[in-house]
Amino acid sequence: MIRDLRAPRTRGARARSGRALASLLLPWMAACSTVAPLDASLPGDAPRRIELTATPFFPQEDHQCGPAALATVLAASGVPVVPADLVAGSYLPGREGSLQAELVAAARRHGRLAYVLPGDPGSLVAELAAGRPLLVLQNLGVDAYPRWHYAVLVGLDAGRDEVILRSGRRQREVMSWARFDDSWRRGGRWAVVLLEPGALPENPEPLRFLEAIAGLEAAGRLGDAAASYAAAAARWPEHALAQLGLGNNAYARGDLAAAVASYQRGVALAPGNAVLHNNLAQALLDAGCPRQAEAEARTAALLAAGTPLEGDVRDTLEAIEAGPRQEGRCAVEAGGSATGQPLSSRDDLEARAADR
Amino acid sequence: MVIEHLRRCLVAVTCISLVGAAMPMPAQAAIVSTDRAISLEQRAGYISAVTAGLAREDLQARFVALGVDPAQVQARLAGLTDSELAALAGRIDELPAGGDALAIIGIVFLVLLLLEFTGTIDIFKKVP
Repeated sequence: MIRDLRAPRTRGARARSGRALASLLLPWMAACSTVAPLDASLPGDAPRRIELTATPFFPQEDHQCGPAALATVLAASGVPVVPADLVAGSYLPGREGSLQAELVAAARRHGRLAYVLPGDPGSLVAELAAGRPLLVLQNLGVDAYPRWHYAVLVGLDAGRDEVILRSGRRQREVMSWARFDDSWRRGGRWAVVLLEPGALPENPEPLRFLEAIAGLEAAGRLGDAAASYAAAAARWPEHALAQLGLGNNAYARGDLAAAVASYQRGVALAPGNAVLHNNLAQALLDAGCPRQAEAEARTAALLAAGTPLEGDVRDTLEAIEAGPRQEGRCAVEAGGSATGQPLSSRDDLEARAADR
Repeated sequence: MVIEHLRRCLVAVTCISLVGAAMPMPAQAAIVSTDRAISLEQRAGYISAVTAGLAREDLQARFVALGVDPAQVQARLAGLTDSELAALAGRIDELPAGGDALAIIGIVFLVLLLLEFTGTIDIFKKVP
């Protein structure tokens, strides 16, 4: 009816309206124009076309793209969940959405290590090529008026310059790389891969990976974390913090002999690390070896002087000084001196224990 | 003023309770966690046990205010490391909370409809 009352449009009027529309939408699109094509952004040897078609799909309920996207990646990694299982643990009613940290925590509670990828296209394609879909955060609005959205990246096609997503209520959303990259950039280029305990991502960075394992530990999954620390120690045999992780994990599980052995391997790799000496001292004290413990704690105190660790080391020393002094039941000292004879390995430790 | 006073009071109570909690088991307190050792090596800086404890208190209250069942709050925070708790505390209202993609589509549709009616564009073709 309204249309019938208007005068017929001319070509000029259409051109003008086109310009008006362009001027309205250009500020929204401006950021897209600078994105390099996907093909140019990928490493030369990376696959150009991938789609993980077997990835499940859970259409989202109102505001609940977080639980839906998380259920998608969890189910793809072998955890049998549906979005409804995750709402109580990851949906924040007052924000009508889910926080990144809470999705990560929920994944950990389900026994999956959540590894936050470095934000480059090469990392995305490497994980997709390994068969792992990725949880991503997009800002579908603009910086001033953000619309945060979680989706699952399941594929890409460099030839067509496109990505493929499980998103909202769309099982197979095809989005141009430029549009995806723009929304992903405005979401902080956040992409997470879920790994089974003991598995490594494609191009792991040591601290990033160890941080992710510490998260699994925080969620109470000590056994799962142990498997991942072992994988980290095997991948980076020279990394002292991997040994610290193994030692702390063993200590938390009550395995003092394993904790002492790991800390000692760590100390051998990084003799100047106050944390390793401090924790070794505590484990030795608990194992009934206060003299060895005291020697380690004094080394730790020297190394920690003037650092934020000073207080922690003081606590350890005080605990040692408050306890009994004699080596009544020390299981890890066998002919060692009061200064602590360094043990080179767990085998060494067990051999000495057997000698007694 | 009153709120500031309450806040100070809460901080004091928390500190005392933390110290109290640490007293009976110095053995646990002396182990420096892997997460805190990593925080030492990173730009973000060292997260002490006290900082993390305060962050946890702050977050518990905010979560309840944002509609989370108080019985669930502890379990939800349990999957986060001290560094993550510290990064979250005080920023829970500004950090991204992914909800849905549907609202923005609605806004774009409304804008297009408005432009259509004002005659600026003509994309909704008349059904013959």
